[in-house]
Amino acid sequence: MKFIKENGPHIKSDDNSSKIMTRVLIALIPIVCYAIFKNTILVYFFTSQSFFSSLHPLFMIITGVCVSLVSEVLWFKFVLKKSFNNSIKETKKSFSIIPGLLLSLVLPTNVPLWVVAFGAFCGTIVGKMLYGGFGQNVFNPALIGYLFISVSYNSLLGSPLNAYELDALAGATPLTNLTSLGYYGVYDSVVGSYGSLLNFFTGTIPGAIGEVSKLLILVGFLYLAITKTIKWRIPITYILTVFILTAIIGYGIGLGLWYPLFHVLSGGLLFGAVFMATDPVTSPVTQIGQVLHGISLGILTVAIRFLTPYPEGVMTSILFMNMLVPLFDKIGVKLKYAFKKIYIPIIIYLILVVVLVLTIISNVNNSKNNTVDDVGNKVTITETKKDGNKTTYIVTSKGWGVIKAEVEVVDKEIKSIIVTDKTGETQWSEIEKENYIYKVITNQKDINNLDAVSGSTFSSNALKNIVKKVLSEELK
Amino acid sequence: MIRGLKIDGKKEMSLSEEIIDFSSPDKVYVPLMNNNTPCDCLVKKGKKVKKGTVIGIRKNMDFPVLSPVSGIVVDIDKCLYLNGEEVPCVVIENDKKETVLKKVLVDDIAKYTKEEFVELLKKCAVTGMGGSDFPTFFKYKSDASFLIVNAVECEPYLTADMMLVKLKAEAILESIDAIRKINNIKKCFIAFKENNDIVRNAFLEYIGRYEDIVLSPVKNIYPMGWERHLVKSVLNLEYERYPSEVGVIVNNVSTIFAIYKALKFQRNITKRIVTITGEGFTEPINVLVKVGTDMSSIIKKIGKYKGEKLKFIAGGPMMGTALSSDHIVVSNNLGAVTIISDTEDYKNECISCSKCVNVCPAKLCPVLIMKNIDNVNELKKLHPELCVECGLCSYVCPSKLGVRDFVVKAKGKVRQ
Repeated sequence: MKFIKENGPHIKSDDNSSKIMTRVLIALIPIVCYAIFKNTILVYFFTSQSFFSSLHPLFMIITGVCVSLVSEVLWFKFVLKKSFNNSIKETKKSFSIIPGLLLSLVLPTNVPLWVVAFGAFCGTIVGKMLYGGFGQNVFNPALIGYLFISVSYNSLLGSPLNAYELDALAGATPLTNLTSLGYYGVYDSVVGSYGSLLNFFTGTIPGAIGEVSKLLILVGFLYLAITKTIKWRIPITYILTVFILTAIIGYGIGLGLWYPLFHVLSGGLLFGAVFMATDPVTSPVTQIGQVLHGISLGILTVAIRFLTPYPEGVMTSILFMNMLVPLFDKIGVKLKYAFKKIYIPIIIYLILVVVLVLTIISNVNNSKNNTVDDVGNKVTITETKKDGNKTTYIVTSKGWGVIKAEVEVVDKEIKSIIVTDKTGETQWSEIEKENYIYKVITNQKDINNLDAVSGSTFSSNALKNIVKKVLSEELK
Repeated sequence: MIRGLKIDGKKEMSLSEEIIDFSSPDKVYVPLMNNNTPCDCLVKKGKKVKKGTVIGIRKNMDFPVLSPVSGIVVDIDKCLYLNGEEVPCVVIENDKKETVLKKVLVDDIAKYTKEEFVELLKKCAVTGMGGSDFPTFFKYKSDASFLIVNAVECEPYLTADMMLVKLKAEAILESIDAIRKINNIKKCFIAFKENNDIVRNAFLEYIGRYEDIVLSPVKNIYPMGWERHLVKSVLNLEYERYPSEVGVIVNNVSTIFAIYKALKFQRNITKRIVTITGEGFTEPINVLVKVGTDMSSIIKKIGKYKGEKLKFIAGGPMMGTALSSDHIVVSNNLGAVTIISDTEDYKNECISCSKCVNVCPAKLCPVLIMKNIDNVNELKKLHPELCVECGLCSYVCPSKLGVRDFVVKAKGKVRQ
């Protein structure tokens, strides 16, 4: 009798990569269901939107999934010249629908379908197939897709609020709101306008399609961790780092324990940490490497949230840290055989954290003390032109960046403000939506009582400061 | 922390009350091998031999290969060894008289000096019967404070050690006690899986007679039988290369029984228990066979193969070698033959899931070794030489890659 001669072991575990993908999808099902419920069903019943347009988020998810699947099949068929059946087989093995699905879940609710398709296509082709296909990619394909969309069509991304929320809450997402407040605000202004932190946990706040319900994400995480599907150390250390850092910052600027909780429960942190940072192909394999990866992600996310005008920072952090994965693994291997040297990364991280936290605390405290009345050093008049009874002031005013404007004054009254440069203002669209410049001019006599545009406080204050400065100049 | 994995043991398959005695073959094929080193042949065709006659020698250690039967050497041929290779062997026709070189019966087996003991182990060609086939006298050359008897048998399907304990617990304990007295060992431990009641009960019956022998249940994981795991689990000690560094000797329970034969009768072990098991065989069972028996003749007498795409494995499914034929001869270190169907593998690309890293008992990074297989400098940093080839990395791999093969290859590359 002839027997099969093959290298051992001759028994294998009954787990395989297709089961892994199935488990990831199972963890995503409740999240997708909730996303559809919140963004389509609620919208349909509580707003005047037509049935078809309220289904838009569902169509986005379907588009993302289909486009990433189809573009992979086409790549196998036409670029790698495989037969159609083989192409289908290959895509079954390569987690092909995951990038499109994850991408659609991190987008705002009203992105045009063709933009979603563009992102899913770029994510699959550029983020995955060009690197040599499944298992070879350096960056998370879904995030490559996100990067392509946000670089090319940022203006089309629009507001993350769905129609129902636009009716209920005039404003931005909690993180955008916090950013425009200068990272400092009492509980009522930061959390209160969205309900309570419990709303953050259950997901009844505005945000991207799939990332709002922290409860369901946690359930998914537990399921994936217990079934040993994902590298659980990464999300745990990532979220813990963000929590600890923001807790210290909160303490430094005089806010309570709700502040770090707010940071952890806001935006895409949980979703990114559980579903994107743990993408097996683009995360470290050593245990120490995974811990370092998680901590670095946390530090970078906090840095982006507090030191740049971008309110979110999770996607950017994950994308950036993808590059450092080989480094983390190298350190992980080194420390495995020389564990006593663990103090070296600990010291490096401690220094990083201390510097970062101190910078942020002093930044936030500074801007907290700089009240709106402190106009003098925020607005500069660079030129004054007199023409009869009309005076034109050319001013620069600090908003997020620097606003440049020409202000025409007749009889000590501002007649017009022409903004010539607003490139530094990230939330300028809110200003335009509210026609805020007109409001500033009409309310110039009582400027201190004019409310800032929610979601764009910095730019609003900059405009108000211009009015105050120019009027006080006129009175001299 | 002791790393490993719970694997379905499937031991009940081959367990039975008795073992079948097949220890009287017509011909034996004694492989001239010791611990994967070829030995020189010392007999010619036509020579009459008795049980215990030296028929070969391992030159570099002056370690003998002894005849398991009495009879006439009829040929010097080649036979299939458990590593899958054809190795030289001495073919002896068994006269079934079982005549021994010198009939001895020692009453008090503890009455040896340490030097006599070591010399006896060498003369009687006692080797590691758990699989290594390494000459046992070497372990007793230096002084030790602890002896760990390995009755773990963590490899799935195998029950040969369990059956030996069940049948010979008394002799094994006597042997351990003698070894302890001769070598001035402080304490002896018998390590077995915590859920293995057969081994526990067999020893419990007699262990009351001995003071310094302790039953030491260990976790039911694979590879718990690895020396390093045992020393860590039983004594909480760690060592660089050999357990002797921390004054520990680890012996398989069947080796202890071979030592018993050496102490009591001053001759070599000529028979051993072999498990014939697996889903691919109709009558899984333990048999008692002479060293040098062609297993195919015995398998034919017991049952039939069943199923398609069968694998015939010398040893257990985790560490054993798949052979192309069933004409394997029994050697000291062959504990089982397992016949199972080939697995249907859903092969895929490596997804860096890190399961192999989490499970590796030697704390290696198999996935990184696999990815750096062509980069020797990088491989050296990953220490593939520490691999014990337990096969868990390939076992857990969700993409069903032959991870262990890469690590073994890397091992060779680094050693060059």
